[in-house]
Amino acid sequence: MWEKRKERLTGEIQTHIEMETQENIEAGMEPEAARQAALRKFGNVPVASDQSRVVWGWLWLEQLGQDMRYTVRSLAKSPGFTSVALLSLMLGIGASVALFSVVYGVVIAPFPYAHVEQICWPATADKNDPMGAIGRHLYTLNELHAMEKSGIFAGVWAMMPESDLLTGNDVGTESVTGVRMSGEGFNDLGVPPLMGRTIQPFDTRANSEPAQVVVLTYKFWKRVFAGDPHVLGRKLNVNHVPYTVIGVMPPRFGWWTPDTFWLPMSMDSTDSRPKYVAIRLRAGVNKRVAEQQLSQFDQEMAAIAPEHFPKGSIHATLDQMTALNSAAQSGLSKSLNLLLAAVGLLLLIACVNVANLQLARMTTRTREIAMRVAIGAGRGRLIRQLLTESVLLSLAGGVLGVLLAIGATRGIVALIPPDFMPNEARIAINGYVLLFTVGISMLTGILFGLAPALRSSRPDLVGVLKEGGSGSGGSLRGQAMRGGLVVTEIALSVILLTGASLAIRNFMQLMTTDLGFQPEKALVVPMNLPPERYKTLEQRNAFSKTLVEKVASLPGVQASAIGLGGFPFGGWNSPFSIEGQPQTHNQIAMSAISSGYLRTMGMTLKRGRDFTPEEIQDGAHVALINETAAKLWKAGQDPTSGHLHLDVLAQNLKPPVLVAPNISPDMAVVGVVGDTRNWGLDAATHPAVYVPYTLIAPPFRVLAVRTYGDPMAILKAVGAQVKQIDDNLPLGRPYTVEEIVGFQTAQPRFAMALLSAFALLGMTLAAIGIYCVISYNVTQKVHEIGVRMALGASREAILRWVLRAALKIAALGLLIGLVGSFAVERVMGSYLFGKVAFDVGSIMGVVAVLSVVALLAAWLPARRAGKLDPVRALREEA
Amino acid sequence: MELLQGTLDLLILQTVARGSVHGHAIAKSIESRSGDVLQVGHGSLYPALQRLLKHGLIEAEDGLSENNRKARFYRLTARGRARLDKEVSKWHSFAQAIGRVLIPRLEENKWAKGEGK
Repeated sequence: MWEKRKERLTGEIQTHIEMETQENIEAGMEPEAARQAALRKFGNVPVASDQSRVVWGWLWLEQLGQDMRYTVRSLAKSPGFTSVALLSLMLGIGASVALFSVVYGVVIAPFPYAHVEQICWPATADKNDPMGAIGRHLYTLNELHAMEKSGIFAGVWAMMPESDLLTGNDVGTESVTGVRMSGEGFNDLGVPPLMGRTIQPFDTRANSEPAQVVVLTYKFWKRVFAGDPHVLGRKLNVNHVPYTVIGVMPPRFGWWTPDTFWLPMSMDSTDSRPKYVAIRLRAGVNKRVAEQQLSQFDQEMAAIAPEHFPKGSIHATLDQMTALNSAAQSGLSKSLNLLLAAVGLLLLIACVNVANLQLARMTTRTREIAMRVAIGAGRGRLIRQLLTESVLLSLAGGVLGVLLAIGATRGIVALIPPDFMPNEARIAINGYVLLFTVGISMLTGILFGLAPALRSSRPDLVGVLKEGGSGSGGSLRGQAMRGGLVVTEIALSVILLTGASLAIRNFMQLMTTDLGFQPEKALVVPMNLPPERYKTLEQRNAFSKTLVEKVASLPGVQASAIGLGGFPFGGWNSPFSIEGQPQTHNQIAMSAISSGYLRTMGMTLKRGRDFTPEEIQDGAHVALINETAAKLWKAGQDPTSGHLHLDVLAQNLKPPVLVAPNISPDMAVVGVVGDTRNWGLDAATHPAVYVPYTLIAPPFRVLAVRTYGDPMAILKAVGAQVKQIDDNLPLGRPYTVEEIVGFQTAQPRFAMALLSAFALLGMTLAAIGIYCVISYNVTQKVHEIGVRMALGASREAILRWVLRAALKIAALGLLIGLVGSFAVERVMGSYLFGKVAFDVGSIMGVVAVLSVVALLAAWLPARRAGKLDPVRALREEA
Repeated sequence: MELLQGTLDLLILQTVARGSVHGHAIAKSIESRSGDVLQVGHGSLYPALQRLLKHGLIEAEDGLSENNRKARFYRLTARGRARLDKEVSKWHSFAQAIGRVLIPRLEENKWAKGEGK
């Protein structure tokens, strides 16, 4: 309909001009002059037409369509600019949104619970010993009731993970860890179940048996009940007792267990075993006030049962769950923070790139803009058109960025090492970050795209038009600005690249660490002997002895061993003293092993001898130590003839841990074994001691097997051997030793992989950006090159001149970047494992790569310019 | 002499009040009736016509000009007539007010030049 109105108006104006022309002719003018006079009198025809139509309010829409058509045309005309700008926006937005979404999901807000900031763990410490251990405090049920009654907290509930045996289910017999919860717990956590109901106070009434009901995690429901929608009312056999399924929790709910179930806790008041306790602060009550009240409460309780509390004056603290987020504390959050910084740099580079491109492009368009102004484009109209261009470009980049972010988030989540995320963490694209990054990169594009339009209001049209677009006046400032942006870009990529090279070197160091044991072709299988069936030390030892002998005789097995600690990491930490030396604060890691341990783990004996089979069989008080422990002996003394006092064996160990009747803490050292990385790849070797497994028998033990071929292939045969000895013993999840070592390198590998990817992206972006701008600058100077050549400059001189200008910019950027890198090294030092320092090689590499990019960017157009015929160069005005 | 802001609408209304006229005739009429003192930028006539059309003060229909050209003829509506009367009386009182302010000034000038008394 507005097309018709437009036509009519055009016709009307046409008629008007013809009438005027006619009048002029009648007044005696030449026809052509008459028409000119009529047009002059009318003024700017298109402007009048636009202004007439704007009255009806449709013009803006029409103009928008016009602008968009024009934008698409002009973007298609410069595909280089368009693709680089889109690529920059896509990478910058995509990478930063993806990474931040991960950080948000894992570290910042992983918990689904209501008022998660009010949930705390009570802990106690001895006031007089500030260095003493501050640990989570466990309370007995009676203490729990008293705490509830005291009214200090809005909610108090207890939980206890216990080892449960599942039988008669679709997935077979399994040993899992289920969680006992007191009746208030679910209500305080405030998450509604996916179906059914949660455990309620009436399920756990005091002094009556807890209801035989079970609430399932989402994963357990999916795995064991195959996601049965009619699961409510079905039975689950736990420790041979049928429990009725009353509820299924949503996927994000992972209170104390990510993949099993919750049972009501027995509230038998004679049960004196302490439970884990969580509390919810009263709304508006200061944590410090609550801590004081809890200290008071603890002191009252200590008066009744002093053995439950630390000696001395008690000081209670409340640790907020959010602050103790395991992921936030673990190295993962460090890696993520590091990556966040890297991705920030990447975003910055992307923005600089876009700004640079827009500036360069718009400067070439100064002439076009001046022309538009000259033929009557208003400033507002001009700005609107440039804005349409910038917004359209940025929007397209934003859409691509979001698509990338969705893919990249999945990629990063797949890369995150398992067990590093809280049970509850779910990672989704974060809307706020998305808005932020899209906003910031669009703003960059728009601001820099508009700069020339805003400048074009200066009434220097004639100058610009005369200069023919390559004008020095207007673009001097632009050149300085672009130079500055290139310097920034080079500096940022130097920082990113040196950071990545640090992470890579660090990872290589970690991978080439001498472990001291051989992780290849070795398998460990954990198992838990039910204490009610294995009541005596002899029963447990007999099981272990038979199993290890049977497994050792299997075909394809090199060696096997059983025990606990040092498979290949960890051990009981025990205070100790060396005969003839005073006790120190140092601790030693004690492992209980069978014969064949050294061969199975691929460790070497350095001095003395290994245990004899008889010593293992009889539980002799003999010990092997590692080299780190051997160094504790005074120089000149032979540790293999020395004795060691292990405090942990002097303690009155209680069931379920059983000890030999003749147990004594005094051990005769018979040999020294080579050091292993027994406390993790990135930690120093702990002093370690190995004793016969027959001395001390907790229900839990680990079978280790060294094979000739694929270690996992032997698993079935091992399981059959176990079944022969005990038909009803569930095996724990088996691991290869390589897998266990892999857990240690998973996180640095994750950080390294992502950091390198970001650095590579950053460098690519920077390289493209640098290339575009430098080569653009040189192209702009073609006219000047022509003048110089016409005045007698040689080709070499021109080349030198161009390269020098580019090098100056590159050198400045590299210098700033290197200075920044040293700051980065300082910061990163605290994020990395072990010691890392810059090596000259990687820095030189970074400098070389960026210099080559800069030089290439200058050289290619400069060579072209050098080959130009001076006359043509001079003519080439635009 | 350039037109005062907003007076073009008034002049157009006054011109079309006397019957159906087309754009070119309106421009000519304003020029000739003001004794060629007021110059109408012909280009600015059309936005003003569209504005008046939109507000329903004038209406338009296609017709043939004196030279048998297709042209659009504009005519005052009832609303336009009311507006014209109001604007004219407003203009008169405005002109009188300006006049009252300016005439004593002319008197003063006479005194200053020593022409008075």
